[in-house]
Order: sequence, then structure tokens, then C-alpha cells
Amino acid sequence: MDNGATMHLAVSLFPGAADGSPGSEPEFDRLAQLVQKAEAAELDMVVIADSAPAPAGDAVSRQAPFEATTLLAALATVTSRIGLVAGASTIGHQPYNLARRFASLDIISHGRAGWNATMAQAPREAANFSRSEGFSPDDFRRRTDEYIGIVQGLWQGWDADALLFDKSGGRFHDPEKMHLLDHKGEFFSVQGPLNVARSPQDTPLLVLSGLSEPDMDIAARTADVILLDDGPIDGAKARHDNLKRRVAVNGRAPDAVKVLTTIAPITDGRPTISADRLAGQFQSKGCDGFNIRMPMQPAALDDFIDLVLPELQRRGLFRESYRGTTLRSHLGLAGGGDQ
Amino acid sequence: MTAASRQMKLGAFLWATGHHIAAWRHPKAHVMAGVDIDHYIQLARTAEAAKFDMVFCEDAAGLREANVGIASQTSRSIGFEPISLLSALAVQTSRIGLVSTASTSYNEPYGLARTFLSLDHLSGGRAGWNLVTSASPIEAANFGSTGLKPHADRYERAREFAEVVTGLWHGGASGHDGQSFSVRDPLDLPRSPQGAPVMVQAGASDVGRDLAARTADVVFTAAQTFEEAKAFYDDLKGRMAAYGREPDDIKIMPGVAPVVAETEAEAREKHEELQELIPDDVGVALLSSYLSISDLWRYPIDGPLPELPESEGMKSRQALVVEQSRRDGLSIRQLARHFAGARGHWRIVGTAAQVADELQARFEGGAADGFNVMPSWFPGELDAFATLVVPELQRRGLFRRDYEGRTLRDHLGLKRPA
Repeated sequence: MDNGATMHLAVSLFPGAADGSPGSEPEFDRLAQLVQKAEAAELDMVVIADSAPAPAGDAVSRQAPFEATTLLAALATVTSRIGLVAGASTIGHQPYNLARRFASLDIISHGRAGWNATMAQAPREAANFSRSEGFSPDDFRRRTDEYIGIVQGLWQGWDADALLFDKSGGRFHDPEKMHLLDHKGEFFSVQGPLNVARSPQDTPLLVLSGLSEPDMDIAARTADVILLDDGPIDGAKARHDNLKRRVAVNGRAPDAVKVLTTIAPITDGRPTISADRLAGQFQSKGCDGFNIRMPMQPAALDDFIDLVLPELQRRGLFRESYRGTTLRSHLGLAGGGDQ
Repeated sequence: MTAASRQMKLGAFLWATGHHIAAWRHPKAHVMAGVDIDHYIQLARTAEAAKFDMVFCEDAAGLREANVGIASQTSRSIGFEPISLLSALAVQTSRIGLVSTASTSYNEPYGLARTFLSLDHLSGGRAGWNLVTSASPIEAANFGSTGLKPHADRYERAREFAEVVTGLWHGGASGHDGQSFSVRDPLDLPRSPQGAPVMVQAGASDVGRDLAARTADVVFTAAQTFEEAKAFYDDLKGRMAAYGREPDDIKIMPGVAPVVAETEAEAREKHEELQELIPDDVGVALLSSYLSISDLWRYPIDGPLPELPESEGMKSRQALVVEQSRRDGLSIRQLARHFAGARGHWRIVGTAAQVADELQARFEGGAADGFNVMPSWFPGELDAFATLVVPELQRRGLFRRDYEGRTLRDHLGLKRPA
């Protein structure tokens, strides 16, 4: 466990926005270089945004060549330490399929995968998934809550020591250590178990974002990381305290959930973020760290890594090196064998 | 391509610890295949070095076997989800095609089209989708409580699914509003590097064949004898004209499970070694699942297969097994053992020359355009095929010595869609 003295840092990447000049390196190579750079800087994780289709009018709605979970798998093979969190829709996937995808990604990445689920309904998404009417906000909330419970339940269907690999005895796994989920709910019915082994970090990370006030309890009960939009700095501490209180009410240690504030660089011409701003909000206990939404220019990451990080490290506010190999270990969260 | 230079297509069918049900118990099999990505990367590189057209992954969204006591004696209850697996392989290989199974029963076309197109971009135009409908009640229980849908309904949904996916890949306009699906927007990804990912199909029933004749680029099938393979080949190619397609627009690649060694005796010994590792209850359970009946174990194991009710599951595979049991007069135990080796696929045990002879006969006899190779265990039997059989096929001019193009469509000699 960490002692909370240093902040956690994520960068959000929009694959469609990674660019650059036509005819240069393949798109994947450029993205991989960005993530490798973030890894060299010891950042906790990259968050690969995804929506289908991209919100109209959004600055990142250029055609992206990749869907986030497939991109995560590919990035996992060209990195070794940094956490990889991909957005994936609760409307676009059935919970069994999505749980399986992320469990698999976690094994591929040796315990560095996370799922970024949003509580916000994407405006046009349902229309592409045979749900042209969408869901009412309340239905969407209850459905997402149930969905998350199924996914997390499926992730725990195999005990950590379930696989025996006993060739001569003919026992591949211990039948007592595989558990049906047997979920029958309002929106879904899922028997389980998952046909993917247990995660190297026990369960992949659940990152929740897009929260409105009524979603806070769901997040406090289920999330490992909560991404909150930036707000006035003087309200941040109260918001953070409120969330941690809800976490405790749900029987979890306050430190079992990390709250990261999403910030965007000030794009006054060159994108910049000031170390003072991050230090101020972190030291006033407004959050456990930051999720930096990288703008179009890859140079923004260079600036952040070359200028801001050394300053944070000089002040003892960010780690000098990874201590473990899993995403949970970077974040100081329990789970897996790598603490 | 002229007849003289026609070359066979080869897929390397990667699956768990191997295609033989007891593969994982083989002393040299990599027992942790289902949790070791590096193992799969190595297999894909072996296949690529041998110039295979593609690696192929099967899929099911659930356990293979409901009886947990049986399931725990096999290695198939856990493994990688294949689309994430192939996405990882995409950047760890450079030429070989990457084909994954995905079901039309429990996905939505917009999401699946987008995911495969993303895999296609990651791989520079080497992705393919093997369209299946899901026939297993175990899978059905993971997607609602209404049970398995009838065969005809599954195929009607599959037909519409394929139409939407190919429409989206071809950049087609949006606004599909059909029986099973509605989709509003075009995909938010650029066009595929190979025009569109390759469409593979595996169903061999009558409706399955029609769907394949209409939409498939590659057909994967199971056939035991030359006659069965030839009849399927001619029937499927014969159906294509009705959809305005040329016979060569589809490559038919039956599964083949070779056990190859330097000598025939050694190959037979290798095969027997694996057969001896099959527990009877595991063999009977596997056979039952493919026959879509649940109580085969009630019948005397050394007696004949009982009369079976018509299946809502895998119709064509049931017929194939029943036909074989009657033809060869096999008991349940014998049939189960035989079936467990390759799940009803064609098996060849022998030297490289013998295996090549058999493949050549079906290829030149107009019963196959190539083969999906199903090694009995990994990595050993894939290595054996790559180092013994592939060079023999190359010497005979039946298989490429190097890749000529970059994309899976290039390898397969398929037209790029307009």
C-alpha cells in the first residue's frame, strides 16, 4: 500500500487524435511510442478513450483507426509496466463478453488492464445497437449498476489457486474452485463462470467516470478508480471527502478507491499544465491524483513529462520509479500477488 | 491463377493445449497455454515462418462442458478471448492472417464490425472473421434465460448480421432497420487496408451453405472421406452462381488433424500415446455434446450408438458422427475415442510424404482449396507440420515458399472488394 504522499497520474489518449502528418509511421507505432514514453516516465496508466460513434462536434471525432480494447491488447505486448485502461460500452457489449475481453486483456498484459465504464449514456450510441429509443436515465443507471456487478462477479469466478495443471493425475483444475455466478436480475441473466482464468491482479481494474450525483454510491461501492471532472479547487476537498465517506459506508477502506481529477492542459496556443496547480489541489487533499486529457498534439505529452514531472518529483509528489508490475500495485490497491 | 500454379491455402488452427482432448496431458504439451500469451506469440511466429495463410481461433462464450467433473479433466474451460488474443498477435507478427470466430447470436453487428475492422488496422490488413451461430445451451445461459434459439432463427439472425457487418465494412450507408438489428451510423473507423476483413464461415447445414455461398470468402468445414469432402465442395461452389459469384471467390478449407513423424510407425505410436490419455467419461461427454444429447452415458459403452432425435444443435456434425458409427460399426467407446482426437475432423497419421499425398489427393481431386491444420498438441505437432510437411508440399509445388503480398486477401488470392 502507498502512504498517499505521492500522487497518481494517468493520461487519457484519444487514438484518433494521435496525429500527425500523413505518410509518416503507421498509426499504431506512433501511439505505441506515446505510451512507451508515458511508461518511461513511470505514469500509473494510460486511459484509451472509446465511443462508437464519437460524439458529434467533439474535437476528437476524427476517424480513429482503432477500437480501444483491441488497441489495449496490442499495446500490452509492446510495454511492460504501465497500466492500460480501455473504455468499452455497456450498450455495445453483453456483460459476459465484456468481462471475458477484459479478463483476457489482463492476462495478456500480465496484470495491467482496466475497464473504464461510464455512467453517462452516450447520446447516439444506443441507435447503433438496436436500441434506438435508448434508456431513461434511471433505467440506464440501474442497468449499469447491475452490469458492473455481473462483470465483477464473473471476474471472481475462479479462485486464485483453481488451476492445478496436474497432467499425470488428469486434473486440470479443481472443480470446487470454479464458481457459477447464477445471476438473475432486472436486465440480465448470466450463469457463468467465465471461460478465462482469474486475473493476475485478482480482478482487472474498474475505472468509473461520467458520474452524476446519484451515481456516487455505485462508484463508491464498485470502483477501484473514480475519474471526476475538474471543478473549482475550493469545492474539490469537500467532494473528495464526501466520496471517501461513501466508500467507508460501503464497508471499504477509504484508500481502496482512488479519486483522480480529470484535467485538460490549458491550450493557449502551446498546451501547458502547471506543477503548482497539480501540487496545490493534491496537497489540499482534493484528489488522489490526476487524469490528464491529452490534446491533439503529441508534443503536449513531451511537455508534461519533460517539464512538469521533474518538478513534481523534486517536490516529492510523484514516484521516481514503479515499485511493482501490476496496475493495482502502481495505485497501491489490494489484489494479486504483486504488492 | 492457372491450374498448373494453383497452390493450397493453409490455416494453423490454434486452440488451447491442442486439438486432441487429452493434449494437455501430453508430457511435452504446454499445459499453461491458456494463460501464456508468449506461447501464442511463438505459435503464430512458427506458423508465419512456415508461410501459413493464417492462424485461426475458435470461440465459445461459455464453458464447453456443463458437467464440472468432466470439464475439470480437460484444459478447455479457460483460455484467451480470441479477439484480444489476435490483437496482441497482430503487432507481434507481420504477414500471417489472423482469423477469429465470433458468434452472431450474442453480439451486435455494429460493435463486432468495428472490433474486427480495428484488428484489421492493427494488423495492416490481415484480419478475418469466422461467422458462427451459437448452438450451445451453456452459452445461451450466459445471455439471458430464454434458452437456445431454433436453428433456423439463429441462421436468419446470422444472415441479417452478416449483411449489416459487410455493409458497414464497405463504407455503406447507415440506417439499417431490420428484423433483428437497427444501426444508424456508419463506422467511425477508416476503410480496411484490405478493402474489408475476410469473411469465414463454418456452418455446413443447408441454410449454412446458402449463407456461405452468398457471403463467405473462406469456408471451414469437417469432412472425413474424400467423397464427403468432394460432395460438399461441389455443392457449395455450385450454389455461388445464384448470387453472382465465381467459384474461386470462396476458398474451401476443411479441417485436417495430422499426426506426422519421420516414420509411419513413429507417427502411429505418437497417436496411440495420446489416445491412451483420454478418460472414458471425458470421451463420451465430448461425443455427447457434439451429438446434442445429454444421456449417452446411460448406454453400454461397448455397445452401439443409440437412435438419436433430430438436433437443434450442430446438425451437420451429428449426421457425420452417426454416419461414421454405422459405416465402421464402432461402439460408443471406440467412437468416443476416435472422435476425441479431432472432433470429427479428418485425421491423417503418417510420414510427411504420406500426409502430403493425402492432402494433394484432396486438393487436386477438387475436394478442397486448402486445409485448416489442427495440431493434436502444442507446440510439438505444429512444429512437426511446419518442419516436415510444409517443405514436402513446397517441393511438390503445392505450397508457397514465401508470401507474395501483405494482406490476408493477398495470401488467399481473393479479390479486393470494390
